[in-house]
Amino acid sequence: MDAAVVLNDIRKTFGTHRAVDGLSFEIPRGTVFGLLGRNGAGKSTTIRMIMDIIRPDSGSIEILGRPMDGSVKDRLGYLPEERGLYPKMKVLDMLEFFGSVKGLKPAEARRRALPWLERLELADWKDKKVEDLSKGMQQKAQFITTILNEPDVLILDEPFSGMDPVNQEIFRNLLLEISQSGTTLIFSTHVMESAERLCNQIALIDRGRAVLSGSLSSIKRKFGSNTVQLEFDGDGAFLATLPGVVKVHRSKRFVEINMADGEDPQRLLEAAAARLSVRRFEVMEPTLHNIFIDQVGPEAE
Amino acid sequence: MHKVLMVLRREYFESVKKKAFWIGTLIFPFFIVGIFAIQILASAIQTDSAKRIGVIDATGRIAAPFAEELSERKLKDGSPRYPVEIIEPGSSTEETRIASLGRVESGELYGLVTIGPDIDEKENFRLDWKNFGDKRTEDALERAIQDHVRGIRLERSELDLDPKKLGELTAWVRLNTYQVTDSGETKKKGFEEAFIPTMIFVMMLYFLIYFHGYAMTRGIIQEKSSRVMEVLLGSVSPNELMAGKILGIGLVGLTQVGIYMISAYAARTAALFWWNLGDLERLADIIAPGKLLAFGVYYLFGYFIFVSIFAIVGAACNTDQEAQQLQLPIVGCLMLPMMTTFFFVANPSSLGATVLSLIPLFTPMVMFMRISVVTPPMWQIALSILLMGGTVYLFFRAAAKVFRIGTLMYGKRPTVRELWRWSWS
Repeated sequence: MDAAVVLNDIRKTFGTHRAVDGLSFEIPRGTVFGLLGRNGAGKSTTIRMIMDIIRPDSGSIEILGRPMDGSVKDRLGYLPEERGLYPKMKVLDMLEFFGSVKGLKPAEARRRALPWLERLELADWKDKKVEDLSKGMQQKAQFITTILNEPDVLILDEPFSGMDPVNQEIFRNLLLEISQSGTTLIFSTHVMESAERLCNQIALIDRGRAVLSGSLSSIKRKFGSNTVQLEFDGDGAFLATLPGVVKVHRSKRFVEINMADGEDPQRLLEAAAARLSVRRFEVMEPTLHNIFIDQVGPEAE
Repeated sequence: MHKVLMVLRREYFESVKKKAFWIGTLIFPFFIVGIFAIQILASAIQTDSAKRIGVIDATGRIAAPFAEELSERKLKDGSPRYPVEIIEPGSSTEETRIASLGRVESGELYGLVTIGPDIDEKENFRLDWKNFGDKRTEDALERAIQDHVRGIRLERSELDLDPKKLGELTAWVRLNTYQVTDSGETKKKGFEEAFIPTMIFVMMLYFLIYFHGYAMTRGIIQEKSSRVMEVLLGSVSPNELMAGKILGIGLVGLTQVGIYMISAYAARTAALFWWNLGDLERLADIIAPGKLLAFGVYYLFGYFIFVSIFAIVGAACNTDQEAQQLQLPIVGCLMLPMMTTFFFVANPSSLGATVLSLIPLFTPMVMFMRISVVTPPMWQIALSILLMGGTVYLFFRAAAKVFRIGTLMYGKRPTVRELWRWSWS
């Protein structure tokens, strides 16, 4: 399978700040790709360089097998982190405009916008001014602007930020649907739960460098299937000192324990059961959240 | 090209669809003409009140006929325009004059005329007043003294001449001015006739270039503050966006100028057809087709030269307030030619006018000004267009560079030095 996007050793410096520092990874076509990292890790800068909004100082970017130009841009959809619409325009007129700058004929853009407005329950608002829409409705309208050209690659920067849970659910389902139709999805987030639920490929970046990249399942495998979730009553502080335990992540109701390779989880269960009242014991893959914390959290430094 | 057209289309229709555009277009000419009407009206009101003149006459022979002659000048309501009060000179003319100055200062007297004993002495005639610029009153007073002093001199010379006859013989000559045009015709024309219409057109140029130029700045700032800029740049390149905006707003301006040109031409044609009067022909000359065409051409060049600078201001600023400050030098460049109008209409071919009309930033207004008074040599017009074309190209390139860097900068406003560096990088 060929790649939708290839980044080859790209670098970008703003003043003295190295925003992106030798970043390389590939995004295979048809995948849902999560670009993960802390705030300020370089996610938005990377995405802007993919969109050719800013240019890298060095390195090369290929999109759909070609260097970026106007005709490639028409095959992309882009939702920046800072959303914006024309407040004084009528909804349908604005959708027509955003479709037309993606290379569509204005009438065609209008024709494509209507079913989307219908589906996202904005049909009654099509002749209203954008500024009269509620925030949730504006988010929907904004989303329509990014997909009118039926993009081959849809790039979303923090798509769920500022959304209420209902809208989040609507958009998650929409994105999965779009992905099933063959579109490559690239989105950035610092919320690992969203990434876990949507992505099959990820790159984790920190300080402008890729810390991890690859398919989610292979990354999880790499970090061990030897992860145990344990729910119990009593003082579990001693768990960290047991032989074979590498790390303990505490949550409110349970702990997640990384064990060294080759260790038998059954022995952990026995040791725990001897001193605690165990309510749940589960051998599982590590969560992305914990991998993230391990790689870029305060202890990783 | 498609994308440039689509941006242009949005800019154009979003402006033209607004009621404000049409109301503005309609009101604007009345606004400009109104500025002049108010001035003329104001000066008419001012001169239409009685002005009390005091006169101290050491000769004892001039004051009475002076007052009599002035009394013939009436206001609209029939009362004397210059009521005269004769002040007795007493023992010293000079002392009386000084004693009476307080009445001028308080405004009781508009002017105080003092006539010394020796009418051949150069410093003998004196007017003390506050309002220096009132040429009309000065002329009237001078003329009223002139005739009687001449009478006294004549009497003294012992020539046997009737003072009235002499007055007729030595009456002032008034030149009637005609303008020789290229086609060899001559047209009756005075300074005011050249100045007022030219000034009206030049002011229209100024406001149109400024309004539409600043629309560019405002549009960019709004796209930045509503965060729509980055969404746009995901679809179009900065150059396409800027080109589309410049052409779109340009077309809005051209629509407006077009409406003015066509309606002026139509009004002129209709007026000449229905009432073919001599006076009207002179009036029609003000909006001759050639002049209207020059107006359109110089508007377009003016717009294209300045809109790039306005685009740089928009790209560099995040708020209207910042932009207001940064645009001051541009407004200065636009104002300067307007302030020269008075001088250049009188001297359209002077070295100053020629040089200024060939500096591209000033060309649109100064060259138009010159054309509307006396057609300058063809080579100068051609050269000015060439220079303006080059300037448009250079400015456009510089603006495109600043635009690319500036549009996504939200933080601190870059300094003028930084802007300059970006422009030519």
